[in-house]
Amino acid sequence: MLRVRTEGEEVVEVSVNTGYNHRGIEKLMEKNSWIKGMYLAGRVCGICNAVHTQVYVQGVEKLMGVEPPPRANYIRTVVMELERIHSHMLISAVVAEIVGFDTLFMLIMRDRERVMYLKDLVTGSRVHADIHIVGGVKRDIDEVRRDKILSELKVVEERLKYYRKVFEEDYTLVKRLTEVGRIRTAEALRHCLVGPTLRASGVKSDVRFDDPYAAYSEIPFNVVVRDEGDSWARMVVRLEEALVSVDIVRYALEHLPQGPAVPKAFPRAAKVGEVISRVEAPRGELIYHIVSTGGGNPYRVKIRTPSFLNIINTEFTYLGHRLADVPVIFASYDPCISCTERVLVVDEKRGLKKYLSLRELARWGTT
Amino acid sequence: MGVSVIRYSPWVMHFNAGACNGCDIEVLAALTPFFDPERFGVKLAPNPRHADIIIVTGALNKKAAERLRRLYEQTPSPKYVIACGACAISGGVFTDSYPVISRADKVVPVDVYVPGCPPRPEAILYGIKKLLDKVARGG
Amino acid sequence: MAELSIGNYSFREVGPRRYVVSVDPDKLREAVELVVKEDSYLSTISAVDLPKEGAIELNYVFWSIKHRAALIVKTRVSRERPVVPTIVDIIPGALGGELEAYDLFGVVFEGNARLRRGFLVPEDLTSKGVYPMRKDAGV
Repeated sequence: MLRVRTEGEEVVEVSVNTGYNHRGIEKLMEKNSWIKGMYLAGRVCGICNAVHTQVYVQGVEKLMGVEPPPRANYIRTVVMELERIHSHMLISAVVAEIVGFDTLFMLIMRDRERVMYLKDLVTGSRVHADIHIVGGVKRDIDEVRRDKILSELKVVEERLKYYRKVFEEDYTLVKRLTEVGRIRTAEALRHCLVGPTLRASGVKSDVRFDDPYAAYSEIPFNVVVRDEGDSWARMVVRLEEALVSVDIVRYALEHLPQGPAVPKAFPRAAKVGEVISRVEAPRGELIYHIVSTGGGNPYRVKIRTPSFLNIINTEFTYLGHRLADVPVIFASYDPCISCTERVLVVDEKRGLKKYLSLRELARWGTT
Repeated sequence: MGVSVIRYSPWVMHFNAGACNGCDIEVLAALTPFFDPERFGVKLAPNPRHADIIIVTGALNKKAAERLRRLYEQTPSPKYVIACGACAISGGVFTDSYPVISRADKVVPVDVYVPGCPPRPEAILYGIKKLLDKVARGG
Repeated sequence: MAELSIGNYSFREVGPRRYVVSVDPDKLREAVELVVKEDSYLSTISAVDLPKEGAIELNYVFWSIKHRAALIVKTRVSRERPVVPTIVDIIPGALGGELEAYDLFGVVFEGNARLRRGFLVPEDLTSKGVYPMRKDAGV
């Protein structure tokens, strides 16, 4: 939750109140087996669950001395990229809704359902993929599913191109998003921002490219970078990345290696050691530090989500803006929280202290 | 008369009490044209004072539970609560974790439980429909 | 390469794109200042409770864009008096990591004025002075 102090309409100070989503997952992982940890990892975030499971499983595989077969790596990549597409569509819809463009929200959500259907086709579930297992994946992709995904992706690609055009050209969106929440390159690095937020400020940093995992070292793709650094740039970076993801899924499915993807057995205990595992979640760099002292449970699992950095370290970006810009800036960081999140506004000059939802704040200020 | 009016146009307020967002995006998806909740008159309420139904997701983080209680008190009667997802029903994978209460019905009275991790949007709409039938029966 | 030198500090390679150096807490700030100059950002501060050794290990994981590698600065503090100098003035993005390590492990980052209990941990535990991620926390 944001606590915003204003003087009239101008924002003077913002602080982020945390703790509302703390579920003690790191402690739970110490009490559960390596395999149960996979399910815990997936439920850190429902929107980017495949990438959480990936970062956990790839770390555990290093500690167990297991290498997944190439086909499994490609299938994992397909699931993670489908997730990236739906996540970017979701935040684009939410930002549209916040500035009052309800029709665009509904249209993007309608087209996002196609991607959810594809996720369902590959993993058996719309949201929680739960497709990773130590040493591979739990399900293979057959020819029928593969062809269905490729044909559906053509439609998704057309719609994404249209939405990118809307964000680039629509008068309301451009007016409300440009010049709002501008972050310069040096500031972005000093404040340790990650993901599209960092790339929209001119820094070419993407874990898939710099520190490749799964099948990314074999799939050619572009890293999208812009240098405006404002909310508009962040949204456009995401839509362009979604288009890059469509290309990645297409390439992966067209070059799916032969061989097994589902392992026959996997070890239950890990060797002694520690590993730093990094992946690129839709919101930015996701990092796990896993420590093993041998045995069936992890000794320590440290989880640092990208939103932890992007939300807590961006308090400085709201200053000097008007109150109605606060939700727009906040949403442009792609916060991994539900959109009825409330903001506490304190205006000492007017003697006002009020809880408002992001939507209300963006459209009607504090009236 | 007051209670049965809700059958025709229930406005839904969604509250995330420490959820992973899986249920939240399915609740959001349930409110979009593909699933068409408006045929039941279901819309997202802009604030608690307009809400008829509160959908609770999440394992009831202790800090969030206080806010849920306040939100419930702010919502005018008649009001109903739907516990959506395994976490709100029993804690899900987070049962017995130190910062969570685990069950929504320890904080607010719950009328309908929609199981799933997360439940599909069709299941959520079915849960709302079940609630409306329960209201119509006088429950 | 098996070793990477930054100033006087010699990082040893522990895996592809992973380099580690161990320093004493009083050398932490100097090491961090040098690492930050290598076009890097602080990715996370990972604390590990080692009760058998009477210590809490802190891992400052940086990602260096210049070297295209993770540079990990390890340091240890005693469990009885877990105090280490803050680095938020050198790199403001360390704020969240320090607040978290304080609330979950009780590590005091000297010089960080924003340290407080309740950043993540609910009141029923903070009021008893419990640091939940310690191995003897009893939660």
